[in-house]
Amino acid sequence: MMPLRLARWSGLALALALMVAAPLVIGGYWLRILTSIYMYAVVAQGLNVIVGFAGYHAFGNVVFFGLGAYIVGVAVTLGAPLALAIVLAPIGAMLAAAVLGWPLLRLKGHYFAIATVALNLAMNDLIINVGGVTGGAEGLPMPLGTLAPEALNELVYFLMLGAMVASALIVLWLSRSPLGYALRALKDSALGAEVMGINTTLAKTLAWALSAGMTGTVGGIWGYWINFLEPGSAFDIGISVNGYIMMLVGGMGTVLGPVIGAFFLETVSTIIWGEFIKVHLLILGLLIILVVMLLPEGLLFHFRRLVPRRKAAP
Amino acid sequence: MLGQTIVNGLLTGGLYAIAAIGFSMVWGVMGIINMAHGSFIMLGAYVSYIVFAGLGIDPFASLPLTMAVLFVLGYLVQRLLLNRLMRTSLLLSLVLTFGLDLVLINLCLLVFSADLRSVNTAYTSQSLALGPLLVPIVRLAVFLLALMLAGGFYLFLNRAKAGQAILATALDKETARLMGIDPLKVYALTAGAGAALAGAAGSFASMLYPISPNMGLTFIGSVFVITVLGGIGSIEGAVLAGLLYGLIQSFAASLLGVNYEEIVAFVMFLVILVLRPQGLLGKRFYGEPV
Repeated sequence: MMPLRLARWSGLALALALMVAAPLVIGGYWLRILTSIYMYAVVAQGLNVIVGFAGYHAFGNVVFFGLGAYIVGVAVTLGAPLALAIVLAPIGAMLAAAVLGWPLLRLKGHYFAIATVALNLAMNDLIINVGGVTGGAEGLPMPLGTLAPEALNELVYFLMLGAMVASALIVLWLSRSPLGYALRALKDSALGAEVMGINTTLAKTLAWALSAGMTGTVGGIWGYWINFLEPGSAFDIGISVNGYIMMLVGGMGTVLGPVIGAFFLETVSTIIWGEFIKVHLLILGLLIILVVMLLPEGLLFHFRRLVPRRKAAP
Repeated sequence: MLGQTIVNGLLTGGLYAIAAIGFSMVWGVMGIINMAHGSFIMLGAYVSYIVFAGLGIDPFASLPLTMAVLFVLGYLVQRLLLNRLMRTSLLLSLVLTFGLDLVLINLCLLVFSADLRSVNTAYTSQSLALGPLLVPIVRLAVFLLALMLAGGFYLFLNRAKAGQAILATALDKETARLMGIDPLKVYALTAGAGAALAGAAGSFASMLYPISPNMGLTFIGSVFVITVLGGIGSIEGAVLAGLLYGLIQSFAASLLGVNYEEIVAFVMFLVILVLRPQGLLGKRFYGEPV
């Protein structure tokens, strides 16, 4: 078994080394595309924790993305250093998830999914109506940093890469931790998990907070990146949906599935975007339908069927 | 002022009710949340618009045609796509119909462009004066027709054989199968009927609001709230909740300002979900017990 494991880890290390070295070779357009791939990989990983592990379909998880973006936006506008702002984003998102999760996670199935969508819409409207330091409906222009555009793009690239690696490691830890087992038990049967002595309320609230923390982090980095926040683009449900599709394509409940899905879908939609700019959303819609109809278990599942992982024990 | 707020709220509420009934039925009977329901409403508005602009036929007169077109669309979507999905994971229907929504909106953008269209009949801006109250004729007609359609659908479900088959399948799919009902056919029928009602709502909306490929998005949020408030799968609940929702929005707009219409709705939605997830008149249906 060792050689296969070794091969897998060295493959990952090689991929990571390539990603770290990428800014030396490519720039501008492709660097930005890689950056958004990493960003979506984290959004997909965040969904993976709450959907893939816990079985709660947080369709409106983008609410934490927007929240993270606005926390960074407001903090930077008020004069906080970037490092502090980016630490505050996941903290704020996690707190929000913990507080809101207590009532909302009592809902099941569709009800929870829809409640998260409503939550996202409510947050969107809240930002518009609060106005003031959030900029409201007109948007929040953030003060220009001292970095040159090139340097800013590279900084954001490495921040997103770091977030992607960190989120994958967190999911790897989760897949082997007692919390991960508790969540999977919960997904199969809430009552069964309860009987096994699992504190289901705590477990699912923790899972959502973890998911929110990941999503909020990249939301915050994204906010700093685009430098101008609008409620409509920060709380764009399309971000969740993209993440959701990536998680599905890659395989939910796996460690690397969401990352693979992000690479796959972003590359495909970039090509579509370049070739058919007028109908790219139409094609994206068709792609979503195709993925759901043909690949509901994800690419990793089919890949594993082709490459048997280990022989059955004698 | 108070009277006018109530009249406005109730009249809009009628449209909301008819917009929500089909969505609520589809959710209640099959457990499918149709994210493309807003697009079905939008398509209904475009069918009415085309018939009006091309042939000069009033949207009220072309209502049966609009409903028939949407019925076929809903039926086919269920038969070809959703029925296959229901065996694997129901929650994926949310993702699939979102994709369908994207396809429909962007197809319409391609065909009709983003230009706003409108249907202006001879009586569009006329109102009845009832004492101090102004009642726009189109809104009143929409309100009355919406209630009649809702009543008709209620009778169809409770009296007609096909309606009974829908209710039986919603309550217990396996027993319905034993009685010789084919659930997949019933599902397609339900989806068709739901889409037809969305088409009716779109036909009404074409006379009241600007028509654009994105107009469904303004409906879908309200439709969610009304469905959950009324109780999933309940027609009388959807009507009651639609009227109530219209009133609440009307009061929110006149007391707090138009910007607060939506935020009041969503806060209300979250509160209902947490406190009374079965809604006002919700019964136990296939759409998951809470």
